[in-house]
Amino acid sequence: MLHLKSIQTLPETCRRATTSLSLSHVASRSFSRQTIASTRTHRSLDRCRTEWTRHHTRHNLLTSSLSPLYRQSTCRRSLHSTAAPQHGPITRPAPGTGIKVHFKDSKGNLIKTVEANEGDDILSIAHEYDIDLEGACEGSVACSTCHVIVDPEHYDLLPEPEDDENDMLDMAFGLTDTSRLGCQVKLARGLDGITATLPSATRNMFVDGKKPTHH
Amino acid sequence: MAPIKLAIIGAGPSSFYVASRLLASLPPSSPYHSALRIHMYDRLWAPHGLVRYGVAPDHPEVKNCVHKFDAAATDPRLRFFGNVNVVASPPVVPLPQSTELPLSTLFSNYTHLLLSSGCSLPLLHPALPPSDHCVPALSLVHWYTRHPSVAHKPPPPLEKLEHISIIGQGNVSLDVARMLLTPPSTLEKYDIPEPVLDVLRRSAVKHVSIIGRRGPLEAAFTTKELREMMNLEDASMEPIDPSLLVVPEGAKLTRQQSRTMQLLQKGSRNKPGTTPKSWSLDFFRSPTGLAPPNSASSSLTRPYTLSLAHNTLSADKKAIPTGETSTLRTSMVVTSLGHQAEPSIPWYDPDLRHVRTVGGRVVDETGRTVKGVYASGWAAMGARGVLASTMIDAYAVADTILADSFPDQIRRENDALASAAGDGSLGELSEVLANKVDLEGIPEEVNKAMASGDVTDYRDWKMIDEEEIRRGEKLGKERERMDWEEARAFLEHARMS
Ligand SMILES: Cc1cc2nc3c(=O)[nH]c(=O)nc-3n(C[C@H](O)[C@H](O)[C@H](O)COP(=O)(O)OP(=O)(O)OC[C@H]3O[C@@H](n4cnc5c(N)ncnc54)[C@H](O)[C@@H]3O)c2cc1C
Ligand code: FES
Repeated sequence: MLHLKSIQTLPETCRRATTSLSLSHVASRSFSRQTIASTRTHRSLDRCRTEWTRHHTRHNLLTSSLSPLYRQSTCRRSLHSTAAPQHGPITRPAPGTGIKVHFKDSKGNLIKTVEANEGDDILSIAHEYDIDLEGACEGSVACSTCHVIVDPEHYDLLPEPEDDENDMLDMAFGLTDTSRLGCQVKLARGLDGITATLPSATRNMFVDGKKPTHH
Repeated sequence: MAPIKLAIIGAGPSSFYVASRLLASLPPSSPYHSALRIHMYDRLWAPHGLVRYGVAPDHPEVKNCVHKFDAAATDPRLRFFGNVNVVASPPVVPLPQSTELPLSTLFSNYTHLLLSSGCSLPLLHPALPPSDHCVPALSLVHWYTRHPSVAHKPPPPLEKLEHISIIGQGNVSLDVARMLLTPPSTLEKYDIPEPVLDVLRRSAVKHVSIIGRRGPLEAAFTTKELREMMNLEDASMEPIDPSLLVVPEGAKLTRQQSRTMQLLQKGSRNKPGTTPKSWSLDFFRSPTGLAPPNSASSSLTRPYTLSLAHNTLSADKKAIPTGETSTLRTSMVVTSLGHQAEPSIPWYDPDLRHVRTVGGRVVDETGRTVKGVYASGWAAMGARGVLASTMIDAYAVADTILADSFPDQIRRENDALASAAGDGSLGELSEVLANKVDLEGIPEEVNKAMASGDVTDYRDWKMIDEEEIRRGEKLGKERERMDWEEARAFLEHARMS
């Protein structure tokens, strides 16, 4: 079920950055996945794409108890939608053929080494392999919850972050010199063996009793 | 583990992030899966707190976080009760449609309590008491998000206002400025109610001054929001005195500060003087009063005179007056100085202006930990932090709740719980909650209100959510919001058919 919207009616800036596909149900595991079009109204086209909300497996179990009506209603339609998806769910490569990604926890312990394909981003890969990386804005560069620390060697191979990514990194917790937003790091062949470390997120950041400031 | 029957006051992002972490931590494979119940109470009929009634309409991506909340709400262990105002004493913001639920009822019906009620009161400026021409930014936010508290209140008379002075330089200030300076033709595809768009289309606003008592390095706004201001289609920034953009020698700037300085130095995309609208960042100015029109000199469009004391920075980065003053002719003043929790919430600390907590656990005024009572989000931290920080805090509070509830052994085996538990000694405890409760029970008052259709559940919300999106689609926009009267009528109709 595709939801089409003429993009001709949108202003130029937004047409350029228009995201793809709005409403489609694809059966997957125990529940229906939803395509969520991220509403980006600026920045480059390649960064604007459909995001898949892959709730972690534990949510799959929860969602399966839904009535169909209820399930459908969790889908969000976006106005900035065009027809073709530029970015779908990721598919796991055949073992031994993909690009290797190591995920580590904040203490540097290996969580998992996984394989993914060229073009897949770190956030989608984390979700595919049930790694606890949040993506509150679903890849729209609007939340910084997908912050990861890349190993220096591979960090240097990545294209420079765009302004909008830098803007969000400003607000990321535990920022380092090799921090990136997971949703913006796309795999290329040369990145084989990249390590993404989840930053330490502890409440120590919040000193109780500090004076209130503007948000 | 004894069952956890948790009542949460508030259904904002913090509340949902705590709930979602608790539910996910006790999955069906856990022997404790069925020992958890969460009842979320919000005084508003719709859930999601400031995500629905705060986040600027032209930031729809930020609202994607609700998909996670939706997923949590599908767990039968979680129930949402909208339109239930938990009150310790008579409410500060009376909401005619909401059912009042005394705090004591929660004490006797639940084993655990989480205060997640946010910071809903705007901080005011002593020299600028609210009036019809001096309003808190939150009132404008409530207007453009159709918050239930503004039902039947008149909209701001933008058709008569040419110059707006916003006091405070945080992101909320920039949200409001953006709404006033962005062409309605750009805004109309977003989640902005039609009556609001009508007012914006009639707007006479030409200039927005954003006034701060300190300098660019102290401004609270973030680079993303500043960049959006710089890129406004129809507006340009008045040039800033270059001397203010010189980084003091020896100053070590944070990454955000240096990027802010770069943006300010570069200026707006549209050159000053080339656009129908403009804005300015007025640094080192403290308002000292707002004078009413005097008939001789009054201009019709900018009738008020805002007096400003000029400041400089002290060694410890405080604003200190230089003795100089100036005035600014303006049509309306908007104060945007932050928010605080309502003093009527329990365990409110008047000095902190939010709930008193240590590591997520609520502490009474004598320093004793209140057993089973926690606070999270803005209610616990004060009104600062974006959703990412609200989420991190919420997860830590959820881990603390679990750590306090689990037997020692499990606690030791799980890293997150072990660190949340700390040294395990909570010191002296004060007890207010029940030990034994009916896990499925719903307080009497709530049951009654539910029967008369005054309380919403999450299913109701999802029906309304879908209907709002459907109505929006017809108008070529993200959604068209309902107020409670419409929502109630819609639900009644839907329940009958
Ligand atoms: C205008 C504005 C814009 C913002 N924009 C952004 C943004 O773009 N991006 C971003 O990351 N962050 C943004 N933030 C910050 C973000 O909204 C907060 O970090 C977050 O909402 C805090 O969550 P909370 O759950 O603690 O509080 P809230 O979201 O305030 O939720 C508290 C809930 O408790 C309910 N409640 C209060 N008292 C009672 C009671 N007595 N009984 C029952 N219910 C009660 C309220 O109705 C409300 O629903 C913005 C904040 C504001 C003020
Ligand atoms: S998911 Fe929000 S910035 Fe990456």
